[in-house]
Amino acid sequence: MTDQDKKGFVPGLLKGMGTTARAMTRHAHTQEYPDVSPQLPPRSRGVIALEESNCTSCMLCARECPDWCIYIDSHKETVPPTTEGGRERKENVLDRFAIDFSLCMYCGICIEVCPFDALFWSPEFEYAETDIRDLLHEKDRLGQWMATVPAPPALDQGAPVDQPEPTESAPSEPQPAQAPDEDPAP
Amino acid sequence: MSTFGEVVLRSLCVLIAFLVLPLLVGQTEHKLMAHMQGRLGPMYAGGFHGWAQLVADGVKFTQKEDIVPLAADKPVFRLAPALGIVSYLLALAVIPFGPHLVAAGITGSLLWVLAVGAIGTVGTLMAGWSSGNKYALIGGLRSAAQLVSYEVPLILAAASFAMAAGSFSLVSIAHAWTPWWLLWQLPGAIVFLVAGTAELQRPPFDMPVADSELVMGPWTEYTGLRFALFLLAEYAGIVVVSLVLAVLYLGGWTGPFDHQIGPFWVLLKGFFFAVIILWMRMSWPRLREDQLQRVAWLGLVPLALLQIVLTAAGVVLTT
Amino acid sequence: MTTYDIFFSILGVLCAASGLAAVTTRHLMHAALWLTVCLATLAGCYLVLGAELVALVQLLVYVGAIVVLVLFALMLTRAPIGRSHDHDTPLLQRAVALVIAGSAAVLLGAVLITGVRDGTVQVHGGSTNALARMLFTSWVWPFELLSLLLLIALVGALAMSRSLVPARATRRTGEDS
Repeated sequence: MTDQDKKGFVPGLLKGMGTTARAMTRHAHTQEYPDVSPQLPPRSRGVIALEESNCTSCMLCARECPDWCIYIDSHKETVPPTTEGGRERKENVLDRFAIDFSLCMYCGICIEVCPFDALFWSPEFEYAETDIRDLLHEKDRLGQWMATVPAPPALDQGAPVDQPEPTESAPSEPQPAQAPDEDPAP
Repeated sequence: MSTFGEVVLRSLCVLIAFLVLPLLVGQTEHKLMAHMQGRLGPMYAGGFHGWAQLVADGVKFTQKEDIVPLAADKPVFRLAPALGIVSYLLALAVIPFGPHLVAAGITGSLLWVLAVGAIGTVGTLMAGWSSGNKYALIGGLRSAAQLVSYEVPLILAAASFAMAAGSFSLVSIAHAWTPWWLLWQLPGAIVFLVAGTAELQRPPFDMPVADSELVMGPWTEYTGLRFALFLLAEYAGIVVVSLVLAVLYLGGWTGPFDHQIGPFWVLLKGFFFAVIILWMRMSWPRLREDQLQRVAWLGLVPLALLQIVLTAAGVVLTT
Repeated sequence: MTTYDIFFSILGVLCAASGLAAVTTRHLMHAALWLTVCLATLAGCYLVLGAELVALVQLLVYVGAIVVLVLFALMLTRAPIGRSHDHDTPLLQRAVALVIAGSAAVLLGAVLITGVRDGTVQVHGGSTNALARMLFTSWVWPFELLSLLLLIALVGALAMSRSLVPARATRRTGEDS
């Protein structure tokens, strides 16, 4: 506290005390997690849910998975022709679909590549286990997560809504996206 | 026999105050610091806002292994925490909570507090040297330098209060107190508060235990209960400094209805100073070693001498 | 034999024993710590004799400041843990010290024993009030002289430590040029 630093010394100290006092009057930022569940955004990457009826056992997700944590077993079944004299069709039947969440790195590539919308992100995250082997979720457990998947986000304002059929929207969507991609290429 | 019983009762009261008040200050520090940093602090132990956090900490400390390093000077290492604790326990015994409510009524009680406080510093030095650890040794050196420097303004400020009251007894000083001491003794109170905080090695004067460079200073090698004793001594030190300052500068039990709730006023005023000591910790960065000495010798000592001149002039003019 | 006598005897024995330990121990820091015990028990002796102010000032100045300074100096220079023979004094010096200490003790004891041969002596003036009265009336000039001496020592120490700094600085600049 000599004369030359007295100018900034005491006001600086008082300012520091004022800052902490002001912080005390404001509400704390603490997340009281187990008591108050967090308000996660709907597209949080919590757990991967499986819509089993959409899955065709195409294995794309299992192949693209960077750490190979998706296990798929399936067999082919012959479906009798629907019309008289028609040809028999073969169809994949899913026997096992499992994701090992002890390996999963939550990259979401499986969900991106799924051509039939069978995999979804769910914001649920409370599935810690005491045994690491219990983190292997089989298809019934993956199916249970479907109930927690939030509704798809609303379309942006001004987005074209010229596709009336909701079931066809998925395969038709990539086409307008592809068109601008291919245009500048040639 | 009745006097013996009274001595036991008084000692027990001091012991209970010694065990409860530091925990109160510690819990206040937990919560105050948390809220000043936008956090909530302990919320679980004990149920309501984590009131039993420090009790839980104490239980945890007792369960830990008591390690004495191989390179340590074992008897000194073991004895060191006891000195700090005992010194503040003895200091707490003479603090008056009312005109007749003193555990040990000795006439030179202000001097007693300063004298036994000095024993605690020897404990810190013993801890620093006997650990056989260079961080602890450097911490001990720093605390020795700091304690010697800040002892001077602390004693000068205390001398000013004693001069103003014409007595070394805390009870007489509180009796002699008048509201205009608030202005007259203000520099002395500031010096006492700052030097007292520095004597306790509390932030911003925690260069001896600077955790980023010295791990934990003289306490580096301590574990379990012995470490807890050092922590308890630190918080007991805050209690002693705050209560002494409350008696010296704010008139102790003086206040509305002081015949009925005198001890309450002492505790309230002491709590006020304890909060200021905690608040300083949360607001200010740590002083560097040279700044520390500069504040003591160029800031506090002249201010304390000025206060003594002021007090002497006041005493001469009014009597 | 009153309680005071018992306490005084205990503290006196402790004081003498710790003083002896301070000069005989081979642990350098232990010597300083034994000195602390010695000074603290001496303060206890003063307290038992009724000289409260002297006891507390003894504690404050010797234990709080001087021993801390001694410990500081030891830690700053050399304070090995365990026994050390680096600072042992020669045998002759020890013998001389023993003789001087012994003769001083005998002299003091003789004076005290001859002085109070006929029983107890009432001593007044140990209390804070009496001490203050004596210090500021009959002994005020020695007291002031002593404080002046200390002030001179303080200023002298400051001057010595200050004058060294520019001297070193000029030497360094001289080497540079």
